[in-house]
Amino acid sequence: MKKAIALTLALGMAAASLAGCGSSDSSNNGGNSGKGDAITINIWDSNQQAGIQEICDDWSKESGVDVKVEVVDWDNYWTLLEAGASGGEMPDVFWMHSNTAQMYMENDILLDLTDYIAKDDRIEEENYYEGVWNLYQSSDKQYALPKDHDTIALLYNKAIFDEYGVEYPSADWTYEDMYEAAKAITEGSNGDVTGVAMNTSNNQDSWYNLVYAYGGEVITEDHKGTTIGSAEGKAGMEMVRKLLTVGAPQSVVAETGTDSLFMSGKTAMIMQGSWMINAFYTAENASDYAWAILPYADVNGNGACDDGERVSAYNGLGWAANANVSNPDECYDLIAYLCSEEGQKKQAELGVTMGGMKGVSEAFANAFDGLDVSAFIDVEETGRLFFRPYTRNTTVWEDALQQQGAFLDAWQNPEDPAVMEQACDNAQKIIEDAIAAE
Amino acid sequence: MTKSQKREAVWGWAFILPTMLGLIILNFYPAINTLYQSFCKTGDFGRGNVFVGLENYKNVLSNTETWQSLWNTIKYALIEVPFGIIIALILAVLLQGKVKGKSFFRTLFFLPMVCAPAAVAMVWKWLYNTQFGLINNIFHTDIAWISDPKIAWISIGIIGVWSIIGYNMVLFIGGLQEIPKDYYEAAQIDGASGISQFFHITLPLLSPTTFFIVQTRIIGALTVFDLMFMVMDKTNLALNKTQSIVYLFYTYAFTNGNKGYGAAIVMVLVVFIMIITFILQKCEKKFVFYN
Repeated sequence: MKKAIALTLALGMAAASLAGCGSSDSSNNGGNSGKGDAITINIWDSNQQAGIQEICDDWSKESGVDVKVEVVDWDNYWTLLEAGASGGEMPDVFWMHSNTAQMYMENDILLDLTDYIAKDDRIEEENYYEGVWNLYQSSDKQYALPKDHDTIALLYNKAIFDEYGVEYPSADWTYEDMYEAAKAITEGSNGDVTGVAMNTSNNQDSWYNLVYAYGGEVITEDHKGTTIGSAEGKAGMEMVRKLLTVGAPQSVVAETGTDSLFMSGKTAMIMQGSWMINAFYTAENASDYAWAILPYADVNGNGACDDGERVSAYNGLGWAANANVSNPDECYDLIAYLCSEEGQKKQAELGVTMGGMKGVSEAFANAFDGLDVSAFIDVEETGRLFFRPYTRNTTVWEDALQQQGAFLDAWQNPEDPAVMEQACDNAQKIIEDAIAAE
Repeated sequence: MTKSQKREAVWGWAFILPTMLGLIILNFYPAINTLYQSFCKTGDFGRGNVFVGLENYKNVLSNTETWQSLWNTIKYALIEVPFGIIIALILAVLLQGKVKGKSFFRTLFFLPMVCAPAAVAMVWKWLYNTQFGLINNIFHTDIAWISDPKIAWISIGIIGVWSIIGYNMVLFIGGLQEIPKDYYEAAQIDGASGISQFFHITLPLLSPTTFFIVQTRIIGALTVFDLMFMVMDKTNLALNKTQSIVYLFYTYAFTNGNKGYGAAIVMVLVVFIMIITFILQKCEKKFVFYN
């Protein structure tokens, strides 16, 4: 017995020391010495790491302060940041998101940038997207600056469309046309390839857009209610249901994920956000992929895309700093540089994301050689943008909507319109209850 | 107390101080804090907790989700503990005898224990995948191993058994080595077969080890989290029928930021584990043979 425990302990220690070896050199970041402490940046998107590091290096050349960009995946990012804010190690500069911004601002976790902005002529409020700028404002103080904005487009696989003789998506498409095309592909392949794939968790990039296109609102503009259970909201979700009847089954999208299905040629169309362009641009069969503008909802039935019938969600991240940072001036200067015209243009040119500043994203359309991403910019010019729905505690209802008792029931059984209608009513209640508890 | 006794006492305390400090800071303080938070409506970032008495407990106990998750956890334990022990015991006995490449096999079976649990779960997730998974491809089946609520809990349990066999086996081998060889020789002279030797010598003399493993594994299985967290997507149809109680705690405490409610869930689990441990201690006197 004792021997066994000793053996186990020894093995455990050996394993631990092996694991330790792997991470021991991570604190060594190239070592070009600058003045002052290096600034640590945390982000959650590895697609953007290289580009952001490059922009930060330009800033380091002028300021002499090193910047280290670290990636932590989305789920762990928020767990770590919250732990840090509750009394631990926090990064100096990091991204903020609409899901959580309000909570962080109210508790003075973020560095108040208001006075800095007032003295800085690089940053003028009117140059930025209003929704993004306002998102990071609380009690008349500005806690983060707009880093970027994103929109949604339709991603399709040309090879699959060719194989089943279906015409490519175009700017004239309604969601009904999208349904017909998806149906032709799913039936043409006997279900081996599906026309479309959408999970309940594809909200901002997929089904939110249909709700708004048909006139519903997941969260009303005052952030105090929802109209997802209204006739308009149900009309949008009914269209989603139709798409699901010719789409990949729920059990498949939950296990494999819509992005993987698309990249492995198992589905012909998905709706995706501009933050994902790079992932598909660098994929194995990238030459088969193309982006089209989102279809519109022909609500009035006149066969033309009228005002407000084509909509896309948009969201924007913010650059924020830790309120207790030891060098706030330098952190602000870095944020201001990243959000200045120079930094924003560089961000677009490098193909990192579209800007949080207006008028800098033209370069983004040309950042991807041989790939047309104008769909993301066109939808802003010809369509209507709605800001990603959020409340004070977004994740509470956002998660509940994706699971059983809400839309998962309808996804599981798309043939029955009554289930979707019931799911909309349930969703209405879930959101109202969550807001009441905030 | 004499001078030397005093000195001894001081040194005694000095030696256990590091462990004591570690326990107090890392175990006792958080445990008491969790108990306290379970009576609070917690504020953001651990600030502004409001005492609400038994409110959280009322909500936790009246929520069917809690009981479903507790039942899921028990079902997981019902697979992991018995199978993990029986298979490990058989392997330990086989690898105890004169087998070629004994240490090779021992290392092989212990390897899952050295792998990061998250990595193990990721690999199994792809093995189980309905469309592209190796299992379905080899056997030409079309089974939704982890999406069908009827079988998903068994699939998860299998991963648990696979991961724990090696660890249990090493403990069993240690226990086997402590059984004196004389008993077997005497039994052989009396003409006992290998199987009756196993049941009449090995099993009773191994019972302290077995009891130790049963007890630690039950507690381990009841606190399972990483398997479900890594394998089951949030939108998986079978999630409600497989999520463990610690998973439920994670959802409330960390995803939804409701620490008080999460703390109450964990306290329910603590009470449950205490009851199980109490029953086990009673059983120990009856079934475990100490020589």
